Amino acid sequence: MKTWQKLKNNPALWSRYLLRERVIKKIRSFFDERGFHEVETPMLIRHPPAESYLDVFETVLLDRHRNPTKAYLSTSPEVALKKLMVAGMGNCYSLTKSFRNTEAGDRLHNPEFTILEWYRVGATYTDIMKECEDLILHLLNTISFDHDKAKPCRQGLALNSQTLSYRDNYINLAPPWERISVKEAFQKYARVDLEEFSTIQNARRIAVSMGYSVANENAWEELYNQIFLNEVEPHLGINRPTILYDFPVAVAALAKKKESDPRFAERFELYIGGLELGDCYTELTDWKEQKTRFDKEMKEIQRLGKTSYYYDHDFIEALRVGLPECSGIAVGVDRLIMLLTDSVNVADVLLFPIEELL
Amino acid sequence: MSTISTADFSKGMFIVFKNEPHQIVEFQHVNPGKGSAFVRTRLKALKTGKVQEFTYKAGDSVEELPIETHEMQYLYPDGDSFMFMDNFTYDQVGVPENFIGDFTKYLKASDTYQVLLHEGEAVGIRFPKKVRLKVTEADEGSRGNTVSGATKTVVVETGAKVTVPLFIKEGETIAVDPETGSYVERAQ
Repeated sequence: MKTWQKLKNNPALWSRYLLRERVIKKIRSFFDERGFHEVETPMLIRHPPAESYLDVFETVLLDRHRNPTKAYLSTSPEVALKKLMVAGMGNCYSLTKSFRNTEAGDRLHNPEFTILEWYRVGATYTDIMKECEDLILHLLNTISFDHDKAKPCRQGLALNSQTLSYRDNYINLAPPWERISVKEAFQKYARVDLEEFSTIQNARRIAVSMGYSVANENAWEELYNQIFLNEVEPHLGINRPTILYDFPVAVAALAKKKESDPRFAERFELYIGGLELGDCYTELTDWKEQKTRFDKEMKEIQRLGKTSYYYDHDFIEALRVGLPECSGIAVGVDRLIMLLTDSVNVADVLLFPIEELL
Repeated sequence: MSTISTADFSKGMFIVFKNEPHQIVEFQHVNPGKGSAFVRTRLKALKTGKVQEFTYKAGDSVEELPIETHEMQYLYPDGDSFMFMDNFTYDQVGVPENFIGDFTKYLKASDTYQVLLHEGEAVGIRFPKKVRLKVTEADEGSRGNTVSGATKTVVVETGAKVTVPLFIKEGETIAVDPETGSYVERAQ
């Protein structure tokens, strides 16, 4: 059954879907009150940023004479917003659709998804941590969760202004949220000393001793991620939100390195109820480093045999002119709505989920 | 035993995990960034029925367990197991309830099912896409639950309850998707 048919058959489902419009309105009012500009960033672009871990949607742009040019669907509003900050726009955000190919078919991804991305000038990632807390509490305090009407679909989970129930767990959202560094989390949950793990030889030895299979071609970052996914991530954000911060540089290449310890970079991820909701960097402002990074990413895209493209050199030019010191975060709005409606599957909060296309 | 890669995974497949036989209950690809891909699985231990999650690196080698499929007739429930008889050898085997899960609601005595065996031990049955079930109780006079559309709940021969369109009558046979428990069509 298509979602519209389910709604026709069971009108009690509407409350789950209609929560979205309230969330969207309250996100806008939050940034409005804080003096942010809302920007409409393009979804159709000529040059994506170089990101080897994403698959882009490719399309063809025709001019009046039907001469073709390759074009792509935007994977995030990041470079557009950063160019505007170079131009002097100041604090700004975009609440838009983004597109990532090959991400259909699991409960947390839809290839077309809603993303909230905001940037604050002069800020570092610690300011954005605080702003995340403020935003989520603003949503909880201002959205009226309609308990009675919502009952049939197990909704209305804001038990009070600081507690949510998600997947049979209570989540206490009272700030400050748990802040744990990647290094601490590896020690606590996997009993791995990340400093010792930092060389490929040690990483191999430790992974093998933990029972993982390790092949010669496995990169350090694969061994790191396998331990992270198996032993660390399942503990994050279960009964209160977790801000996981300070990532090894190898897995945070677009973030600014920490001055106190350049082996780690100023990046954090936000987990609530086991959902990864956001990814934040103190932004890299060095255009040379960004260009080196992009060149490396393009080689990786070709090695992986993914859809290749000419990356956005205009963005490098903008960085050369000068991006102000800033920090920003991308938040998955569909997942945020999953959390607020106690939904396990992203398709349950989308009126037209990708499953209906496949 | 044969070595496979995570690319060959399918739901219901039997593999060796930490030296013990397991069944893949669910799997999904995850991509935490920077090019490398992973496969997140939910694995059920055949000996204990315990389910746990494990994330493989995409491309990891895994041993697949040899599984035989035997046509067997379902006989009767026996404690926590369900007894089946091999149509060719007449051997009887018990399939533990946790390997059948919700499908127990649709088991019909003397119907033939494909039972999966590992080293002679039953480890599950292959669920058909549809099961045909006779409606044994249907409220004819009911106008149905009009709030949730033109549907009503009927009881089928195995005792399971199924939500069906209003036009389904007692004595008719319907097809049900055992995975979701939902009505598919009127069967002939």
